[in-house]
Amino acid sequence: MRLSRKRLAGGLMLAAVAAFALLGPLHGADPLRQNLSDALLPPGGAHPLGTDHLGRDLLARLAAGARLSFGFALLAALAAAVPGTLLGLLAALSGGWTERLLLGLADAVQALPALLLVVLVTAFAPGAFLPLYLGLALALWVEFFRISRNTAAGVLARPQVEAARLLGFGRWHILRRHLWPEVAPLAATLFAFAAGTAVTTIAALAFIGVAARPPVPEWGSMMTELLPYHAEAPLALLLPGMLIFLTVLGLHLLAGRERA
Amino acid sequence: MTAPMGLIVEDLRITGPEGVLMRGAGFTLRPGEPLVLLGETGSGKSLLAQAVMGALPPGLRAEGRIVLAGRDLLPLPPRERRALWGRCIAMLPQEPWAALDPAMRAAPQVEEVDRLVHGRPAAEARRRTAARFRHLGLEGAGGRYPFQLSGGMNQRVALAATEAAGADLLIADEPTKGLDADLRDTAGRLLRGEAEAGRMLLVITHDVALARLLGGRAMVMLAGEVIEEGPLPDLLEAPRHDYTRRLVGAEPSRWAPWPRRAAGRMVVEARGLGKRLGGRELFGGLDLTVGEGEVVAIAGRSGCGKTTLGNLLLGLARPDAGMVRQGGQVGPLGLQKLYQDPLAAFAPSQPLGQGLAELCRRHGLAAGGVAALLPRLRLAPALLARRPSEVSGGELQRFGLLRALLLEPALLFADEATSRLDPLMQQEVMALLGEAAAERGTALLVVTHEAALAEKVAGRVVRLGAGGEAGAEGARPAPELAGQGI
Repeated sequence: MRLSRKRLAGGLMLAAVAAFALLGPLHGADPLRQNLSDALLPPGGAHPLGTDHLGRDLLARLAAGARLSFGFALLAALAAAVPGTLLGLLAALSGGWTERLLLGLADAVQALPALLLVVLVTAFAPGAFLPLYLGLALALWVEFFRISRNTAAGVLARPQVEAARLLGFGRWHILRRHLWPEVAPLAATLFAFAAGTAVTTIAALAFIGVAARPPVPEWGSMMTELLPYHAEAPLALLLPGMLIFLTVLGLHLLAGRERA
Repeated sequence: MTAPMGLIVEDLRITGPEGVLMRGAGFTLRPGEPLVLLGETGSGKSLLAQAVMGALPPGLRAEGRIVLAGRDLLPLPPRERRALWGRCIAMLPQEPWAALDPAMRAAPQVEEVDRLVHGRPAAEARRRTAARFRHLGLEGAGGRYPFQLSGGMNQRVALAATEAAGADLLIADEPTKGLDADLRDTAGRLLRGEAEAGRMLLVITHDVALARLLGGRAMVMLAGEVIEEGPLPDLLEAPRHDYTRRLVGAEPSRWAPWPRRAAGRMVVEARGLGKRLGGRELFGGLDLTVGEGEVVAIAGRSGCGKTTLGNLLLGLARPDAGMVRQGGQVGPLGLQKLYQDPLAAFAPSQPLGQGLAELCRRHGLAAGGVAALLPRLRLAPALLARRPSEVSGGELQRFGLLRALLLEPALLFADEATSRLDPLMQQEVMALLGEAAAERGTALLVVTHEAALAEKVAGRVVRLGAGGEAGAEGARPAPELAGQGI
């Protein structure tokens, strides 16, 4: 696929964040080790990005947060994309009651605000990541389902599918040759958006103390912790926010569809 | 304006990145005398119109002189060229139903031209539009949306809008594409009326019948060059250039009739068939039998249910009344179909050869079958590596035929299979279809809106009642069935 400038920019931003996440540990500092005498140090010396209010190394914490956010976002988006897309294809291909049932289910899920759904699920096990992950997947699969079902239904109504059936091809062929080439690029685009949503959601929830909690190095919870020190260490507060911005912008640029 | 009237084009050349696309075109278009540009797809006739409009695709450049009412257009900056659109030059869109606003009723679309282009008050715009609609036979259509109107009516709405703009020069690009003979004649008469009312009319078409109807002068284009020019209809009666001769000869009415083939065992049979669509009866109580080796045509105006009838016979749709039965010798893959738009009938992302290979694997067919059929259908093997969108419509339709023939069908349903092709290509594809079917004893079911084509190819013609133009009026077509032998 030819890379547009937008996509290239998005890819570079994500590569930068990923490199930061992977190279951060080489610096050698422990993201959890406190040293109160070194609290709120400005960037420089042994702490290239300074320290937080408990004297923890910010570079190490931000890199750890990047690993957490990235991994989590990709897993959550994947957990939404795979069942969502497959169920959409199933609904379009089978029609009838299966389709109506799945559509009803999607409507029901969509009637709930996504964030509320996640908070609801996380409430069962505060501080744990699994419910957060489940809740996000549960909120995000609907979009994959809708896009894949609607696209597939449109393709199924085209002469190309009628022709394939007349030529004696079965469902598997229609799925692989006719539906998948149309659905896959849309699902890939949606995947990048969903990953972006997952990044902001985990940060937002951590910011209000759901799921990731101190001392876990997570961008959202780091911002909560550093909020009282905004005057003394504005950069320390700004850095996690900038990383979130860069990641989500990168994902959205990467998802951007090219117009020829 | 007292400037010289008319459009003068001198030595027009159009060049693109790959070289010269059109060279040396020159003509003078006077009010009242239509000019028809004849030629096949890719001959450069649409480029010429776009050059006159000032709407060439990016990367293309026009040189020469285009003088409209004494004004040299080519040196003008694009902004000034665009300012002429609607007021001085109007283009009748190729598919008016696609060019009209689907969410707006017909009359307001025309009224807004009066209001916005000419700054007339709303009441006056309404009055003028109503008069235009009466003149064009569109009474009662003003309050309807484009999707509630037939193709022909939409075309007249688009024409009313260009009339309202008041341009002296009207350019119509393939105005009869996809229209059946009756609608084509109506559209032709409307356009001729525009010329007779004193406007300059430039019509681009590959439809020889339309050219004959319009009169005036004609220019024939081939591969970017004007090869012949002259007054109509003389040019068509005595064409000098070989290409023009072939173009005229490709009209279905001039084809040699296909030899009639005796019907063998029954392939499909319909008894008391009835189908309704959107509360309207398409046909009812229809009996039809197609035997082995027979050629049966279903003719009728657009919208009368021809395709539906074919689909019922193939089992692709269910009848509301009656029944369809297949002969015992017909296998599960024995009924195949060719589509009106071949591009829509192939998986777009798959190279053609790969699709054919999969078909052979699926049914355990010898791979040599494809190689044997390619030369028979005059297809180059190199095309197998291309995707459907990378071959011409005629080539793709022949691939559709090839793919169906691989399965040795008992019946082949050609659903307007050549109606989107250029006349010469139509002639060639139909001939290949007929030969291939005759060699194999395949029955052919040919759906067409061209009565002449139906009569030339078919041993029997099934005429469905005329419901096409009605569409919105909801006229009830009489289910009439005329089985005629030739």
